[in-house]
Formats: sequence, C-alpha cells, structure tokens
Amino acid sequence: MKYALRQTADKLFTVGALLAVVLIVAALAGILLPMIWRGSSAVVFRGTVEFRRMQMEQFGHGDSAAVNAELAQVAPIRQKAYEILDRFSAGLDTTELVSRIRQIHRQFGAQLTNREVPPDQYETARDLSRMLRDELLAALDAPDGALALPHLDAVLAHDQDAALKDTAAGAYFDIAREYRRIATSVDLPRREEYAQSLAKISEAMKGLLGPRPGQPVPEGGAMQRYGATRWDQAQQQLDQLLWDEQWVSQGPGRPLKKVLTPRAQQFAGTPLAELFPYVQQNAAAMLGPRWTFYGRFFTDDNVSSHYFGGVGPETLGTLLVTVLAVVVALPLGVVAAAYLVECAPDTHSTRALRTCINTLAGVPSIVFGLFGQAFFMLYLLPKFGLRRDSSIIAGSLTLAVLVLPVVIRASEEAIRTVPRAFREAALALGAGRLHCFLTVTLPAALPGILTGLILSMSRAAGETAPILFTVAVASGPVPRSLAQPTRTLSYGCYDMAVGDRIAMLAPHNLFGMVVTLVAIVLLLNAAAIALRGRVARRLRG
Amino acid sequence: MIEVNEMPQRKVLAAGTAAKTTDVKMANYVPQAAGPEQQLPAIIRADRFSLYYGSHAGVKDITFDIYPRAVTAIIGPSGCGKSTFLRSINRMNDLIPNTRAEGTLCVNDVNVYDRRINLANLRQQVGMVFQKPNPFPKTIYANVAYGPRLQGVHGRALDEQVEQCLRHAALWEEVKDYLDRSALGLSGGQQQRLCLARALATQPNVLLMDEPCSALDPIATAKIEELIISLKDEYTIVIVTHNMQQAARISDRTAFFCLGELIEYDQTKVIFTNPVRKQTEEYVTGRFG
Ligand SMILES: Nc1ncnc2c1ncn2[C@@H]1O[C@H](COP(=O)(O)OP(=O)(O)OP(=O)(O)O)[C@@H](O)[C@H]1O
Ligand SMILES: [Mg+2]
Repeated sequence: MKYALRQTADKLFTVGALLAVVLIVAALAGILLPMIWRGSSAVVFRGTVEFRRMQMEQFGHGDSAAVNAELAQVAPIRQKAYEILDRFSAGLDTTELVSRIRQIHRQFGAQLTNREVPPDQYETARDLSRMLRDELLAALDAPDGALALPHLDAVLAHDQDAALKDTAAGAYFDIAREYRRIATSVDLPRREEYAQSLAKISEAMKGLLGPRPGQPVPEGGAMQRYGATRWDQAQQQLDQLLWDEQWVSQGPGRPLKKVLTPRAQQFAGTPLAELFPYVQQNAAAMLGPRWTFYGRFFTDDNVSSHYFGGVGPETLGTLLVTVLAVVVALPLGVVAAAYLVECAPDTHSTRALRTCINTLAGVPSIVFGLFGQAFFMLYLLPKFGLRRDSSIIAGSLTLAVLVLPVVIRASEEAIRTVPRAFREAALALGAGRLHCFLTVTLPAALPGILTGLILSMSRAAGETAPILFTVAVASGPVPRSLAQPTRTLSYGCYDMAVGDRIAMLAPHNLFGMVVTLVAIVLLLNAAAIALRGRVARRLRG
Repeated sequence: MIEVNEMPQRKVLAAGTAAKTTDVKMANYVPQAAGPEQQLPAIIRADRFSLYYGSHAGVKDITFDIYPRAVTAIIGPSGCGKSTFLRSINRMNDLIPNTRAEGTLCVNDVNVYDRRINLANLRQQVGMVFQKPNPFPKTIYANVAYGPRLQGVHGRALDEQVEQCLRHAALWEEVKDYLDRSALGLSGGQQQRLCLARALATQPNVLLMDEPCSALDPIATAKIEELIISLKDEYTIVIVTHNMQQAARISDRTAFFCLGELIEYDQTKVIFTNPVRKQTEEYVTGRFG
C-alpha cells in the first residue's frame, strides 16, 4: 500500500517536472517566436521599386540602370492614376478655374488688339467675352448642379460663334464642357466633403507612390521622398486610399466607433470613382513588389531615424562595447577570484569582501551607469586627456564594473571546485603557488570561468542603463576611435521604443533591432560555449 | 635559503656498486634503534616531532629514522597519523590552515620545518604518490614533463627524461604511442603508474607513497609492488599501507603507528613475526584495529 503510494508520488513528480519544462518552453516560444517573426520581416520582405530606388539613392546599392528601367516601366501606369485624380480635382478647385477664366478674358482682349479688328467688332467681341466670363463664373458659384446648368448652357450656345473661332476664347467652352460633366455627375453641395477626402486620397497616393514626378523634392528627410518601400506598407496605404475611416459617436459616455466606408461608394458616379478599382488592380504593377532578402540590414546605417536602412553602426557598437567590457572584466575578475580562493586568509574582512561582491551583483544597473558617468567619464578618463564626454572606453569600463561580480563569483566557484588533488600534485612536484595556479588550477577552472564569461557577455550586451550616460547616443557618426561615443543595439531599441512615431511607422525595424541583439548575444554565447566545450573535452581527455 | 642537498650516496648506488643491505641485519635486531650497524646514515630523521591540526595532534612525539635505499612501510589503524607524518616530510600539510609543527624533522640533515627552507627544492627531492591517482587533466607527456620543466629541462633532453621515467614506471610500452592523449583516459592502475613516473621525473631521493594501491585491483597492485621493489635500489621509499601482506612483501622495515604515536619500528620480519609490543602483535594478527 505504502509502496504504491510512493510510486504514485514518484510518477506525479515526473509529470510535474515535465509540465514545468513544457511550460518554460511554451513561454519562451510565446515570447521569442513572435518577436523573431516580426524581426525577420526587417530582413525578408516584399520590397517595391520604391525600396530599390531608396537603396540606390540613399546607400548606393543596386544596379541604377535596372532601377531606372523599372521606374520608367511603372511611370505610365502611375500617370494614369494621377490623371484621373487631376481631372476630378480640377472641377472641385474653383479658385484655380476662376483665375483661368479671368486670364482667358484678358488674353482674348490682347488678341483682339493685336489683330487690329475694327472698333465696333472689338466692342461686341469684348462684350461677348465678358458675358461668357460672367456666365461661367456664375456657374462656378452656383451651389447646385441644377442652378449651374443654365449658365453653362448659355455659354455653350455660343461655341459656334464666328467671332470666337480660333481665339483664346475657345478655352471657355472646354472649361464649360468639363464643368458641365462635373455639374451633372457630381453632387456640388458635397464639394466640401469631397475636398476633404481628396486631401486624404492625395496623401495616401503620396504614401503609396511617393511625391509626384515633376514636383519639387519635399523638404524633411528621406522619409518624404519615397512611396511605400514595402508591400505591407503599400497595403496599408492602399487601405487608406480605398476606405474612408470615420469615428462616430455612439452616444454620451460610450467609446467612439470606427466606421469604414469604401471611397468608391463615396465618390460613386463621379469621375473619381474609376480611380479606386484602377489603383487596386494596378497597385502591384505600379510598385513591382518582389521578395527581397535585405542582408545589408545588419551592416547598413539608417536614414530618417531608422525609418529606412539597417542597424550596422549599432551592431558594431554593441560588439565593441561588450567585447571590450569582457576583456577588461575577465582578467580582473579571475585575479580577484584567485586571490579570494588561493591567498585570502579566512578572516572577517575576507568574508565581508565576499559579501560585498555578492551584493554588488544585485545592485540596479542604473546605479552603475551613474557611477560610470561620475567616476570614469567625468573623473578618471579626463586625467588621461579624454574629453568629458561619452566614449566607448567609459561605457566599456562601466559595463566591466557591472559584470565584474558575476565574473568573480563564477571564477571563484570554478577555481574552488578544482580538485585539491591537482593542486597537491603540482605542489608536491616542487611548483610554486603561482606556477601551480597558472599551469594546473586555471586550466582546470577554465570551463567554469567561461561560464561566467557567457553570463557576463549576455548581460553586458543587453544592458541599457549603464551605457545611457557613458557611451550611447541615438544617432551620430560611426565611431573612429574608442574615445568617441557609439550607438548600441540596446540603447537603440530603447530609443526607438520610447522615442517617436518610428516604432509605429516601421515596427519591423524595431523588432529587427531587437532580434539582432538577441542574435548577437546568442552568437557570442555560442562562441563561448564552443570554446568551453573544447576546453572541457581537452580536460576530460 | 636552505637547500636539501642531494645525497652523495645515491650516485654511488645508481652506479650499482653497493650490495643489498637488508637481509644481513635480520639476526641482530635491536628494538627502536633499527639497524645501528647501517652502512648508510639515516636520510630522514624525526626527533620528538609533533604536528598539530589546531590544538589536536595528528602525530605526537615521533622519533623515527628512515634509511636510504630501502622500503619503509608505515602501518596502523585508521586515523593514527600515518598520512600526517608522511605529508609532514615534504610539508604538504602546509596547505591545511592552522597546522603547527614541533620538534625537528630532517631530510639530509636539513630541518624541513626551518623557516628558511627552499620548499620547491625540498619537494623535488622528496617526491610523493597519493592515495588516489591524480594525474593532471593534461596529456600523458605533459604530466611526466611537469616536474622537469620546472627545473628548466627542455627539448630532446625532456623527451628522453619522459621516456626514461615512463620506462621506470613500467608504463612506456603501454602509452608510447599515445603520449599526446589525455592522462584521464588511462585506467586507474595506469594512472597511478603515471603518477609514479611523474614523481620520478623530478629525480627525487625519497619517494613518499600514501596507500598507492588502495584504489587498485590486485593485478595493478602487483605491478606497483613490483615497481616499488625495483625502485628501492635507487630511491628511499616510504609507503603507508593498510595491507599487511603488502607491507610484509615489499618493505624492509615497518613502523607501527597508533593514536598519533610511533609504537614500534623494526625490521619488517620482526614486526610481523616477533613484535616487541603487544599492541603491534594484536594489530598485525588482526585482533585489533
Ligand atoms: N585536515 C585536517 N584537519 C584537522 N585534523 C585532521 C586533518 N587531517 C587529519 N586530521 C586528523 O589527524 C589525525 C590523523 O589523520 P591521518 O589522516 O594522518 O590518519 P591516517 O593514519 O592517514 O588514517 P587513514 O589510514 O584513514 O588514512 C586524525 O585524527 C584526523 O582526525
Ligand atoms: Mg591516510
């Protein structure tokens, strides 16, 4: 009976342990996989012709002839969309029409003077022109299509007049005919509403295709200069273009409700209606999306604060700072650990020292950041002629101090667990204590020390707070010496996440950066683990 | 710095001119003054030597002469201070904090507990083989070469010395093709012989062995025993053992320790056949301990 109970307990224990493992794996997968998935979209995605143009112009990558050919290929398809848009907006934008009409009138007058027509003819022609002008202006002013039509018809009644043949006044009839079409099809009282939508549509078109060719290059960075560089972004812009988004009140105290109406419906019957199916069908033809592996993400600099480009300088900075920190911390830590194990007498002060080191490992990293700023950056390094400014050296030293307790603890443990027999054997052969440590204890403790190295490297690469004041900048040139500040991945992530709209506009770049950081940590760890494996295998024989 | 001088006698012996000394003296045994008629003076002399772990005495008041070119066995019940005494000779007890020595313990007439002694030199002269085989986690070659390298031997001379020591330890034939393999890949008995070779490589005068066979099977034990017997022509060997047969088989003299004191010390035959003390007799016949 008792035995059966014990067996059940054993089984429960096994199942429980298994569950715990499954839980951990699931949690890890739940956190890591989405992140990696989203991050990988910074590297593998469907890039449009705008992406290739941006890459060529901003980074000088790619074949310019091919890109130009591609741009020439999509230009007519885009042009047609612009034309539809223009035709419609011309009817809406009456101020421009008004000035054009007044101009026609002036031109016609000038023509008459030039031809030296007799004064009586001149007067009748001028009067006719003035009448046509006023009728047209009245038509444009009419709040309703029904009211505009009589005016337009009055104008068009004169289109065969001999006096106006082959003169500037002929343009009156073009305008009248065009506007007649609009007045019959477009609900003129909704002109305001159309104008608002039109602004959004133009905005979406710009987001999709970039600024219109022939227009001046917009100010304000590369972000404004290109259309959708990625197919997923293009899809978003397309949604903006195709759907009107309104937030409708649901009554007091209730949240606003989002209502989407297709713009095609909004503009039904107007000349603009054909734009939406056209753009929807030809979006791919206008942008030429293609699966792209953007491997240069890891080496490219960025433009427009990470809207375009990659994480090259950040990667370099992280590697530099981390490796330098470990290079400083490892020898210091090993020597300290060797002292604590091999030399330090077992006194209260030694024990206090050990406690201090352990406590140090738990101190919040921001404290180290402030210490590093106060001690290394502002006090120590200026003594060696460095500026009182962020620098890679200051940051690495700060990180070295941060990871020192970890290194010391791991090394101490490793050195302590080297069998006493090894030490005795070496000493019994006449080796001095230092020689014994260097030739026997240290090699045997190396795997454990490397474990400390792995832990500290991961920590150093991922920390943000200690480098906040000592080395990291959000933007700036790639450092050319260790006395200059650098960008780092951890700080870059922080900056992007809290900074501005970029994280929203280009989330793939934020996640790409996060995944790069994870990848670097894993890579460094893999290297250290491989090294440890080799050392351990050599020790085992 | 005081150096423990190499014994001049050893060179003579190594040349093979001296005869075996042990069997001659069996007849005229004098208790506690084993072999006053020794041709060679004692190489290790303990005089009222005590070693304390803190306040607890590991061995107390030992007066004990060990003669060169012979195997001296130390037997006694567990915890009686055999290891303590052995490790005092090359001052391995220094590694344990709070140890304190009293009296004198001389090797080649140099007090090893003199503050000014050259420890490295002492430990080169007095080699040690431990109870558990403890080769370094290095190659077989590096293990044997460790001592000579400390003495500045390099290159071909080192190769030769390594080979010679491995031959001495009867290991050469087994490992000559695997010198660059890890020593931890060897069997327990091979490892122990490797440790012996490693100890021999510093060219000591004295070899201390603390239960060298306790972790080995009978065949490996027999091999080690054979080795010890063959080595005693050149070295002074002090061996601690719990195995009475072993002590009887290989040693020339035997010391019996009990509760930190030296109870009896005499020719091995005498200890095992006709001990003076009753305690000794009870111990060797297995009625006590
Ligand atoms: N490191 C130590 N610290 C304190 N006391 C010790 C230490 N080593 C040994 N002793 C004590 O010294 C005494 C002698 O120990 P020692 O190891 O010399 O015995 P031994 O004869 O070798 O025993 P065994 O046959 O079991 O190896 C024992 O009472 C032991 O408790
Ligand atoms: Mg012992």
